[in-house]
Amino acid sequence: MTFLNEYAFYIGAFGLILIGLLTILLRHHLIKLIIGLSIMETGINLFLIAIGYISRGTAPIFPVDGGAGTVMVDPVPQALVLTAIVIGVAVLAMALGMAIRLHGHYGTLDMRRIKELKW
Amino acid sequence: MVNPVLLLAVPMGLAFTVPVIERITGRVSRWVPVAAMLFNLVLCVRLIPAVLEGPVIVQLGGFVPPFGINLYVGPLGLFFAGLIALAGLVISVYSLTYIRTGPLARYHMLYILLLVGATGVALTGDLFNLFVFFEILCISSYALVAYNGDRAGLESSVKYLIQGSVGSSMLLVGIGMLYGIFGTLNMADIARSVGMVDQGVLFVPLIFMLGGLGVEAAIFPMNAWLPDAHSSAPSSISAVLSGIAIEVGLYAVARMVFTVFGISDLFLFLAFLGVLTLLIGEMCAFAQSNIKRMLAYSSIGQIGLILFALAVASGVTVTGGLFQFVNHTFSKGLLFLSAGYLIYRSGSMEISSLQGMGRRMPLTSLAFTVGSFSLVGLPPFAGFPGKFLIVRGALERGGTVIVVLTGLVLLCTILEGAYFFRVVQALYFREGISGGSGERAPAAAAVAMILLMMLILALGAYPQFAETFLRSAASDLMGAVEHVGSVL
Repeated sequence: MTFLNEYAFYIGAFGLILIGLLTILLRHHLIKLIIGLSIMETGINLFLIAIGYISRGTAPIFPVDGGAGTVMVDPVPQALVLTAIVIGVAVLAMALGMAIRLHGHYGTLDMRRIKELKW
Repeated sequence: MVNPVLLLAVPMGLAFTVPVIERITGRVSRWVPVAAMLFNLVLCVRLIPAVLEGPVIVQLGGFVPPFGINLYVGPLGLFFAGLIALAGLVISVYSLTYIRTGPLARYHMLYILLLVGATGVALTGDLFNLFVFFEILCISSYALVAYNGDRAGLESSVKYLIQGSVGSSMLLVGIGMLYGIFGTLNMADIARSVGMVDQGVLFVPLIFMLGGLGVEAAIFPMNAWLPDAHSSAPSSISAVLSGIAIEVGLYAVARMVFTVFGISDLFLFLAFLGVLTLLIGEMCAFAQSNIKRMLAYSSIGQIGLILFALAVASGVTVTGGLFQFVNHTFSKGLLFLSAGYLIYRSGSMEISSLQGMGRRMPLTSLAFTVGSFSLVGLPPFAGFPGKFLIVRGALERGGTVIVVLTGLVLLCTILEGAYFFRVVQALYFREGISGGSGERAPAAAAVAMILLMMLILALGAYPQFAETFLRSAASDLMGAVEHVGSVL
């Protein structure tokens, strides 16, 4: 059980990344692909947060009394995740916008039927 | 001395003023990319003397590295920034008249942002910063590929977006792992302590990062998006994507392998991968009947060639590889730009419809011919010194495997010659077929193409000018110790 306790966040994070990746690889519907992409990004954000997490640590903000004796988590990964979330939102918006346009052209979002270009 | 951070700040600021300028007066906004890139080019030229003395380190926000983000403006970074500015300038002059329909302000804004992203990747000394600039580059190129809003553009853009996002995610996972191992994101700081960690531990983040960057650099197993995206985008965007975006990806790969990880065990594998990419690209290009797809596959081949040159990792081949970067940017830019108007005129992307164009569009056909000769590597053009240095360096380095791979590289050059000469033959020596519009290349496009032709000829005639600078850029790339010493 100690193994699970220690690595629960990592298992969860990579679980989410794998679920997202499998969704992207196995599904053909564009919206499902985008959902897979989103799940993968969530997994990555969780992974980044888990790297900086210290057991029972608090938010890295210094209280007025100087906060002696409190354990704080690493703030750098949290800053990275904030940036990564913003980027993820931009990509998501872009992808959904394209899905709308694509549906206008083809009348479907099934990627098996949207293939005019080939190798 | 001017502050190199202006290379990023000024174009990015100008990019976001484009919609405002468009509101006030619609005629000026298309000149903004020209102004931004001209500014960058002048700044790069002014920075050359300072950088040749020693790399310029910019501490952003005044935080000392490794705690703050720093820009590392060495000869290599400046070389890329200058190349991006020059190519960006020429292509923005071309798109003054080439891009006439659609949301023009957004085109010009995204175009500048794409180039800013590329410049940032070339200059940054921080891993997460690299990721952010990479995303700026990628997101603006997803949007620009779909600029025409037609079926092919949207389809290829969606494919590009999905593959590119998965690649960026892998890159981020790799960066996260590195942060977990070293507790820092500064490239120099990681390079300093990379020797103290078990090599097996480093293998996983390295593979994640190479996989992620490899998607953008179009290294063989990850390049399925490239032919679609490059052939469906507007021609000016194809030129930027081929000439700048994938090369910046390859630059980032080289930065990781040489500076950050400093792993030499991997070089033979990368050389194999490079030759494999080269073979696949050239063979697919040979089979194409669509001219833009042919050029796109040829870009894959060139990336493979440069990867091979960098992976052989002797001073001569790396210099040759950097020379090939320049040559590929100029020649492929020229090829896409001239193909843009050849396609306008003939109304079709098929090579067979270009027959007899040599008489109907003499200047554009000449530009295409110069570009293809330079890319194949014929002597008076810029392609020759690059390929010559690569082959010479690889043979000097010796070893059976490297010599065999070099033989394959030469074989690919023959293939390359075969398909390019087929197009040139169709342009000049086949009876023309009438049809298509009667449109000539306008003055701005002609200026852009003539500029690129002159650059290619000058570089081919006087390679030693570029070579001295490129040699210091090559030693900048391979000298991880100096990098660490100058930053920290």
